[in-house]
Amino acid sequence: MKPLDPRLAGRIGPARRYIVVTAILGLATAITIGFQALVLSRALAPVLAPSPLTEDGLGPLGAVVPTDVRTLSVALAWLAVIVAVRVVLTWTQERLAHRAGAQVISELREQVVAHASALGPRWIASGEGTAVATTVTRGLESLMPYFVRYLPQLLLSMTVTPVMLVVVLGLDWVSALIVIGTLPLVPIFMILIGLVTRERSAKHLEAMQKLAGRTLDLIAGLPTLRALGRERGPASRVRELGEAQRKATMGSLRIAFMSGMALELLTTLAVALVAVTLGFRLVDGDVSIETALAVLILAPEVYLPLRMVGTHFHASADGLAAADDAFTILERPIAHRGGDKPAPTLHDATLVVEDVSVATPDGRRLAPARLNMVARPGTVTALVGPNGDGKSTALAAVMGLLEPDSGFVAALTPEGRTDLIDVAVDGWSTQFAWSPQRPDLGPDGRTLSIGQRQRVALDRALSAERPVIILDEPTSHLHRAARDEVIERIVAAARDGATVIVATHEDELISQADSVVEVTAMEVAR
Amino acid sequence: MTALKDLLRESELSRPRLTLAILTGSAALGSAVGLAAVAAWLIARAAGMPSPADLALAAVVVRFFGIGRGLFRYLERLISHDVALRGVVALRARVFERLAAARADKVLGLRRGDTLARLGADVDAVGDAVVRGIVPLGVAVVVSGISIGINTWMDPRAGAILAVAMVIAGLGAAGLTWRSSRLAAEAAVTADARVAEAVVSSLDAAAEHKVWGTAGAAEDELREADARAEQALDRSAKPASFAVALQTLSAGIALIGCLWVAVTGANAGMYGPTTAAIIALLPLAAFEAVNAVPNAVTQLFRSRTAAERIVDIAPALPADYSPEPREATAASAARPFSQPSELTLDRLSAAWPQMKPTVPVTADVAPGSSLAIVGRSGVGKTTLLTTIAGALEPASGTVSVGGTPASREMVGTLVGMTAEDAHIFGTSVLENLRVARGDITETEAREALDLVGLGSWLSALPDGLDTVLGSGDSVSGGERRRLLLARAVLTAHPIVLIDEPAEHLDTAGRSALLAVLARLRSQGRTVVIVTHHMNLTESVDEVVSLDE
Repeated sequence: MKPLDPRLAGRIGPARRYIVVTAILGLATAITIGFQALVLSRALAPVLAPSPLTEDGLGPLGAVVPTDVRTLSVALAWLAVIVAVRVVLTWTQERLAHRAGAQVISELREQVVAHASALGPRWIASGEGTAVATTVTRGLESLMPYFVRYLPQLLLSMTVTPVMLVVVLGLDWVSALIVIGTLPLVPIFMILIGLVTRERSAKHLEAMQKLAGRTLDLIAGLPTLRALGRERGPASRVRELGEAQRKATMGSLRIAFMSGMALELLTTLAVALVAVTLGFRLVDGDVSIETALAVLILAPEVYLPLRMVGTHFHASADGLAAADDAFTILERPIAHRGGDKPAPTLHDATLVVEDVSVATPDGRRLAPARLNMVARPGTVTALVGPNGDGKSTALAAVMGLLEPDSGFVAALTPEGRTDLIDVAVDGWSTQFAWSPQRPDLGPDGRTLSIGQRQRVALDRALSAERPVIILDEPTSHLHRAARDEVIERIVAAARDGATVIVATHEDELISQADSVVEVTAMEVAR
Repeated sequence: MTALKDLLRESELSRPRLTLAILTGSAALGSAVGLAAVAAWLIARAAGMPSPADLALAAVVVRFFGIGRGLFRYLERLISHDVALRGVVALRARVFERLAAARADKVLGLRRGDTLARLGADVDAVGDAVVRGIVPLGVAVVVSGISIGINTWMDPRAGAILAVAMVIAGLGAAGLTWRSSRLAAEAAVTADARVAEAVVSSLDAAAEHKVWGTAGAAEDELREADARAEQALDRSAKPASFAVALQTLSAGIALIGCLWVAVTGANAGMYGPTTAAIIALLPLAAFEAVNAVPNAVTQLFRSRTAAERIVDIAPALPADYSPEPREATAASAARPFSQPSELTLDRLSAAWPQMKPTVPVTADVAPGSSLAIVGRSGVGKTTLLTTIAGALEPASGTVSVGGTPASREMVGTLVGMTAEDAHIFGTSVLENLRVARGDITETEAREALDLVGLGSWLSALPDGLDTVLGSGDSVSGGERRRLLLARAVLTAHPIVLIDEPAEHLDTAGRSALLAVLARLRSQGRTVVIVTHHMNLTESVDEVVSLDE
């Protein structure tokens, strides 16, 4: 997996800005760390040197930190400034990280939700679609540690590490050589260990997942066991499974932690080597005490970001997986439905449904199966049939909200017949006044009970003066008196010229309808 | 914090192992501190240009610390994960027991929502408290103590400075981080709920928005909810940012202070250059352990929240809990259906909290007879069945068995209930049937499968009764229903409740249900089924409707 998803930087504005600013802050941090090392070595050198220091021991870098800093009070003043700058830098970085994380999550969430809505109700109801809500709420939360912890360290390893390397090179090329020699070993060893252990860890992982699945299975079945009075045996089974899972997990961890060990071992051992080499070269007089101190202080800083990247690796894996889920949805193409013809006006149009079938999300049934229906202006058409046989789906197909798997929806106007698949769908759908089974009505609607909500939705549909009125179970949550009133209004709307289509179980309403159409489902032969 | 403490106690954490984890972790970070100290000594000593032999020992020690860090860290990770995993294993079994012993209405209500799926993750989160919370905090205390000790031994002033800075960096950051986590959790309750609501509304009502042209309003609602969530998050992140800045500041102050002590001390002739170098350079390495405090505190907070959720779903075990199976002492096959089992419903109405109560039902069901409850979907049939089982308090009216009011203890002893969404376990066909009763023989199992018309299905299975059923696709909807019916037949409860949804109830399923009904009645059991298939109702003794 790549440490940074290019789509994050490419498509999410706040992410791009954050990366740039964090890189700049990282560079600034690197520079202050460099200064800190030089100042410390200047200040300590007079104490450690056997004889008074006469020449500049920092070589070309001595120009940056003057020899006055050898005086304690001057050094302390320099350090105070450096510490203050570092405090400001860390604080700014943290604030930015949290803010950017929140913004990126919001932006991704809004894009994914808008895209999923555009993919249509059928996709939303499918297996992939039902996970969208979880992906954009709980799933995207794991991007936060990625932005706050992992990404800054990743950028630091790209800024601080090279800057430190240049500083060390400027001070002492022998030490720089040791560092340059060990740095590439870190990724090489990690990759090698990964390759060698891949097969074994895959095997362990499989065993682990299997055992975890079986434990979850027992927990998921607990209500069933409880209902039959059989819930008290399996606790010991849960323990056995868990014990086996622990052994499998430890087996995989013994391998997985090896690459972490290689990272720590190489980086610390390299620092130790630098220190020992410096010691012996100091004895030989090959290197000045100031340079030796500065290099000693800087050497761990070269490796620190690399180590931190390793520490926060998990944050990266979870965050990137969440981002990947989001981008997978965003990259799903929106099927262009309908044609380019403008939608005909549906005033005085007869709606025709011919042989329409729609497969259920699991593909096992057609609901509706081969539905035929004619709905004329000025009449009420009732769709009847058992729940789950496709009445609501049929209504959605009529409104152009989903494309049937087979069959046609068309409008017959004085100008002739227009098929829904040939026209721009938006112009078609918005001519319908629809009251769905569970209307949403926005934030205000959500404070109402389902019964109240349905009455508001019915009212909206019946008073919208759109040519076609579609009502899905309009009387299901209403009491007797309200029900009679609604039926009266439905009939009146038809008398005023509207084309009314209702899906209902209500005998009273069915008896008032001008035509009744039975919706049936069919198993798909497997 | 009590919930987390309780659960950690129940996870039987081994103290010696935990101590070992903290010690190896301290050895790892201590190696870094040791490396810094000995390297400082080495450079300072070398500056005096002694003979190279004087440096030999220090050079070896430096290299040892260089290796020690990686090695000890590896050991610490293994040991701490092992401790945590052992804890999780024990805790999982414990939580299972707690759930099993919880009130029947609680357990049966768990089917709703993703509570159970979340439970597994929450138990793991309690385990994370060990690896990412307790061990790093322990290591921070030990390593800080060692660093302070070294500097105090060299010069008490340096020790004092380091101690003050580390306490501020540790405790101050811990407090600020805790506050940040709490603010975030509080904000999440309202802000995240609004976001989730806006998301669900946008998605579920996408079609409605399209028809009515209100998609823009839905997008605005989500944008506003997001903006509020961002603000809340930003407020809660402030203390966390202060915590990190405070740590940088403390480390900086320690560095300045110790440099001052080292240089003035050496200049005053209190000690030589080697000691001065160690005092001045030690703070650079010593703060790594303390810097792990914020993450550890965040983890503890997260684990605490998870622990509270667990305790909420699975309260502590009652004092008289015994892990022995209950059915062995109650409805055993040896005493078939001999207990009084006349079921009387008197104006019984049922409801989950905040649900509209069902229409009152009055009926007498004698042993050997059956009652069917019919009604539209969503009218509360399953809720009524759960109430008849005794798992749920009636909303009004009474339900009694042989004259005694139904109680929660009845569920699973006198009454066996097969829910609409009863679980098929990922184990063999036989074990799945043995869920009904532990001592079912292969012959009994075959006979029951024949009864529900699964005889040919069974013979087509690769390993017969030992075939392991996967979750998901391997069993079709109709086969699943009939498997559950076979399970119901094999139970030994005097009263049998079956929740039978209309879906997947094809012709074969219907005849299976009829056969099961006849069998149960011939055994003299009391049977209640829920159905919305009207033509089934001819085969039962009494029918009540829940439709208004």
